[in-house]
Amino acid sequence: MIKFHPSPEQLSQFAEGTLYAVESIMVSAHCDMCERCQKRVAAETERLAEDVLETQKIEHHYEFDTMLAGITQLPAAESIRALPVERTQAIELDGRTFPLPRTLQRLADKTGNWSSLVGRLWQAPVDLGNQGVANFIYMEKGGSVPEHTHRGTEFTLVINGEFSDGLNAYDSGDFIFMDGEKTHAPRSDAPEGCLVFSIVDQPLHFTSGLARLINPFSHLFFR
Amino acid sequence: MLVGIPLEQSNSAVKPKECAGEMSEYIVAVAEKRCKKSFARVFGYFAPRLRSYALKQMGNEALAMELVQDTMSNVWQKAHLFNAEKGSPSTWIFTIARNIRFDMLRKLQNRKEDVCSDDLWPVLCEQTADANETSLDEQITLEQIGFLFEALPVKQKAVIEAIYIDGKSQQEVADELEIPLGTVKSRTRLALQRLKGMLNSHD
Repeated sequence: MIKFHPSPEQLSQFAEGTLYAVESIMVSAHCDMCERCQKRVAAETERLAEDVLETQKIEHHYEFDTMLAGITQLPAAESIRALPVERTQAIELDGRTFPLPRTLQRLADKTGNWSSLVGRLWQAPVDLGNQGVANFIYMEKGGSVPEHTHRGTEFTLVINGEFSDGLNAYDSGDFIFMDGEKTHAPRSDAPEGCLVFSIVDQPLHFTSGLARLINPFSHLFFR
Repeated sequence: MLVGIPLEQSNSAVKPKECAGEMSEYIVAVAEKRCKKSFARVFGYFAPRLRSYALKQMGNEALAMELVQDTMSNVWQKAHLFNAEKGSPSTWIFTIARNIRFDMLRKLQNRKEDVCSDDLWPVLCEQTADANETSLDEQITLEQIGFLFEALPVKQKAVIEAIYIDGKSQQEVADELEIPLGTVKSRTRLALQRLKGMLNSHD
C-alpha cells in the first residue's frame, strides 16, 4: 500500500512539464507504480490541455501556410511496432530480481557497478550528466544509515521492500521527499531487504564538500 | 501565397472540448488516408493555439514557431498513434507539444541527453505505450492458467513447469526425469489439452 505520494503541486507541474528534470524522473517513476497518481496526472494533463489551447486571441501567422504545405509533404512515420526496444527491465541482485518502473529502465542502462558500503548497504550510481548522480541503493536486512540531516533536497523512491527511518515506515512505491528540515536514520528490517532509487536535486552541492551529507546513503557520507 | 490548401480561421471561438469529436475524425482520416484536407483543419485549429502557448512558454517567436512546426509534423506523421479512447485530440496534441518543449529547453541549456521527454511521458512511443498494459483478457487468462495449472496431475505439472517455466528442452526434461522423450512429449500434449479444455469450460 503506497502511503507517500508527490504533492498535488508536483503532480501538476509534472503534467505541465515545468517540474525540474530530476524531480520529474522521481514523480514519473512513482506514477509507474501508483495508479492513483497516474490518474491524477492524466486528469491534470487533460485539464491543462483544455486550458492552454483554449486561447481567446487567435492570431494567424504569415508563415503558417508555408508550414502547412511543408508538413504535408513529409512521409508518414513507419510503424515500428515489431521492434522492441532492448532495455534493462529489472535489476538482479543478491539472487533476486527487482523489476524496474518504466521510467527507470533507460537510466538503469547507465548504471555503474554495485559497490559495498558499510552497514550492509550496496550502491550503484547512475550517471545523470550534469544533473548530478542518482543511486540505486540496496539495504540488506538490518542495513542502516546513521542519523543525519540534509543540506539539499533528496528524493527517494522505494522500488521494492520496506524500510523505516524513525519518522515513518515506507513500502514499495512510496515517494519520499527530504530537505534540511528533517533528520532521519534509515534502516531496513525487512527479511528481503529493500531496493530504493535515490536522487538529489542540487548537483552543485552534491559535488562540494558539505553537500556530501545530502544523500543519506551516499558512500561519501561514510568517509 | 504558396499553397492551395486554405487555412480555416472561422472556428477561433470554438473551445477544444467542443470540437473534440470533429478533430478526432480528422486525425483518423489523416492516419488512414493521409488526407491533407483533414490535416489542414486540424492545423488551422491547433497551430495558432500552439503558437500562443509556445510564445508564453518560450518568449521567442522563432522558438515558438519551431515548436508549432515540430508538434504539427508529429501529428501529421504519427497520426496513427492517436487513440480517441485514450484522450481527446487537444490532450494528445498538448502532450506532444509539452514533450517537444521539454526537450528543446534542455537542448538550449546544453544538457546532455540525460533525461528526455520520452522517459517521462511516452506519448509517441508505440512499444512503451502498450508494453505494460496486458489486456484484461490476457490477465484473466494468465491468472486462470496459474490456478488451473495447480489442478494438473503431478507428472504433467512437472513436465510443463520444466518446459514453460524453467525453459528447458523436452530432451533435457527427459534426461532429468529419466523417462523416454516420447513420454515427455505426450505428457506435454496431454497437459496442454487439459489446460485448454479447462479454460474453455471456464468461459
